[in-house]
Amino acid sequence: MDSLIADAALAPEGQRKIAWVAEHMPVLNRVRERLLEDGSIAGRRLAVILPVEPKTAYLASVLAEAGAEVSVAFQGVMVHDDVAAGLASRGVEVFAKRGSTHEEELGFFDQVLARRPEVVIDDRADVIRLAHTTHREVLDTLRGASEQTTSGVVALRAMEADGTLKVPCIAANDARCKFLFDNRYGSGQSAVNAVLEATNLLMAGKRFVCVGYGWVGKGIAKRARGMGAEVTVCEVDPFAALEAYHDGFEVAPLVEACAIAELLITATGVREAVGSGAIDALPDGAVIANAGGVDDEFSVPKLEQRAREVRHVREHVDEYRFDDGRSVFVVGKGVVVNLSAGEGHPAEIMDLTFAVQALSARHLMLHGHELEPRVHALPPEIDESIARMKLDALGLRIDELSPEQQAFLRGWEAFA
Amino acid sequence: MSDAASRSRIADIALAPEGERRIEWVARHSPVLNRLARERLGDGALRGRRVAVVVHLEAKTAYLATLLAEAGAEVVAAGSNPGSTQDPVCSALVRRGVEVHATHGASAEEFTRDLLDVADTGPEIVIDDGAELTRRIVEHRPDLVERLAGVTEETTTGVGRLRAMEAAGRLTFPAIAANDALCKHRFDNPYGTGQTALTAILRLTNLSAAGKRFCIVGYGWVGRGLAKRAEGLGGKVTVVELDAVQALTAYMDGHRVAPLARAVADADFVIAATGKVEAVSRTAFAQLKDGVVLANAGHHDREIDVPGLRDAAEEETEVRPGVTGFVLDGGRRVYVCVGGALVNIAGGDGNPIEIMDLSFSVQALSAHHLAGGGVPVGLNRFPRELDDEIARVKLATLGVELDEPTDAQRLFAEQWTA
Repeated sequence: MDSLIADAALAPEGQRKIAWVAEHMPVLNRVRERLLEDGSIAGRRLAVILPVEPKTAYLASVLAEAGAEVSVAFQGVMVHDDVAAGLASRGVEVFAKRGSTHEEELGFFDQVLARRPEVVIDDRADVIRLAHTTHREVLDTLRGASEQTTSGVVALRAMEADGTLKVPCIAANDARCKFLFDNRYGSGQSAVNAVLEATNLLMAGKRFVCVGYGWVGKGIAKRARGMGAEVTVCEVDPFAALEAYHDGFEVAPLVEACAIAELLITATGVREAVGSGAIDALPDGAVIANAGGVDDEFSVPKLEQRAREVRHVREHVDEYRFDDGRSVFVVGKGVVVNLSAGEGHPAEIMDLTFAVQALSARHLMLHGHELEPRVHALPPEIDESIARMKLDALGLRIDELSPEQQAFLRGWEAFA
Repeated sequence: MSDAASRSRIADIALAPEGERRIEWVARHSPVLNRLARERLGDGALRGRRVAVVVHLEAKTAYLATLLAEAGAEVVAAGSNPGSTQDPVCSALVRRGVEVHATHGASAEEFTRDLLDVADTGPEIVIDDGAELTRRIVEHRPDLVERLAGVTEETTTGVGRLRAMEAAGRLTFPAIAANDALCKHRFDNPYGTGQTALTAILRLTNLSAAGKRFCIVGYGWVGRGLAKRAEGLGGKVTVVELDAVQALTAYMDGHRVAPLARAVADADFVIAATGKVEAVSRTAFAQLKDGVVLANAGHHDREIDVPGLRDAAEEETEVRPGVTGFVLDGGRRVYVCVGGALVNIAGGDGNPIEIMDLSFSVQALSAHHLAGGGVPVGLNRFPRELDDEIARVKLATLGVELDEPTDAQRLFAEQWTA
């Protein structure tokens, strides 16, 4: 084992955190039993490219317990060193350190790719991009990848469209058991929570701007309202904007919305969704954070260039003071805030997401060689099986269609 | 070493820069206090007066203490709970010339010693929380009682204690129920504690609220805020009450109402907000669901009977920082946040700054009012006109305008004839 981590002595604390989430991930625990029974990934090489926090660590360790050779790497801003150590002590190779440099991170990804993974569980298509550019030698042995995020799926589709993509990829993000819960309820709760905890500010009565009304934006707007904020949504998509209107939110163009924003969270998956014009419109004291999948939804380097003074004012909070005397406060350095200033999504939500990822990886191991090098959906029967396991774990029962109802749905003839 | 430093008992003066940063952040988000400090507190009424501040010693309290000191008061501070004392903030406060007696995690003996040390400085005005200092002065330093120009009390629980003291004939000095000010309990209790207790529980546990059942024990102003925010986070709420009118209010607000034993049976989270003891007691333990999370957002560390839980448990472990797991009969697991201490304060940074801006504006004007003299002996209301003034300043800082009554409306209100 050649893990590269900050401090192996932190393992007991990391182990404790992993044990806590394991208790709250009943579906992943059932998937674990299944993988142990069917041996489908035993002895196979898997790379997990996800933020190193307790839930991801539990996913990686479930895959390792089922017999896979698992290696993990990620960018340092989203690495919990104790969890990395705990994971390494569970028989997973970990290449991740809090505060690592870009060069170190490239080295970490090199390590993972050098192990010639057969399946990659990827985040923002980072490693798949490397496999198609600087590390093409790994493509021979790569059966496929399963992608976690909306923005990663967008990148994979672009690769497919221009003929670059050489391996089958499953858009795990697009599984219903993922985006309907993880993006909406997971990000919604944890992004709003992280901003409030980091700032110790009040939400009630605040003018809150949510930039982007995809599944993440929907969750954030809902939770911000639930905490008492007055929410304005900014969109570029007319359907999403209409949804926001019908959900009872104000809808306004970004620069206008920014002019009154006290708190602003981005959830667009687009670089510089909040550009200089919008930053200039923000009132003095505005607090901004990013909950989307792209680090530069507003550009922190540009803020740094333009600011007269940058100060670290509280843990996770930096002040950018401009020449006109205004200050804007950034939570979590512009990196997805629920992870940079918190522990990420709730455990029960990641239970669904990582059941998707584990079964998606299993599917690629078993059937990757039969699939075209395109972006594929997770087979719907797998998706549904996960939802049913979750309902069962919650003790919730639902109805089934009667034979008559099924016949009605199958029929097309006019009623007599 | 400055006088303040030589008289203080704190953890480490070297922590002051971090405390300074925390206090500056608070100052920036306290527009009401800033304006009142500028326009009201500096008129000389507080000059040279000995003011004791015994409230959770974190950055917001420190900023209040600072403003009183700037208004000329001789301020001495202690924490109202050792679990909530932040050492860097204490250090910064000493740097700012305030005498401080507090350390994080002080033992019961140290805590009592700190309070008695504050008492022995002979305060004329006490800004108190839970009447912690006032009752110690009355009980243990009776000769210092006559120095008291007045006490202003922050919490529901403390006001209850002052009332009990009055009934026993021991409240022989003026006291103001700052907690009962509209600008305090209508905002601090529901919006402040409502938000921060929930964010703290979710952060401590990293668990999801959506779809979960929340049992809220107590439907006072805190309980209402908890219920509203739990719903806002996607939870379903059951309320437990002893008071019939409060229970009916909970019902009309759309919550399920049930006795404790039944309410906890399917609860994923149980949050106490009663201001009493044994809100979640032994009788309920048998009904708790496996994996339930218990937290206290009330006043006392004793709202959840943690010693009782400990007696009943086969095993106790710290499962995450701030979360203790107890294994009961048959392997049922019960998790308690921050050992049953106030979850938003011991497990977080306490109420939001903007909320404490209002609460501490009440306290600042209340102390100023007591310093002016003329407040009768016994428990008094916070003057309505001061309450009004604070609300108007807050609205002005928000840029919110409101209407004045028209002549016809004024006339109608004054008329009583048919």
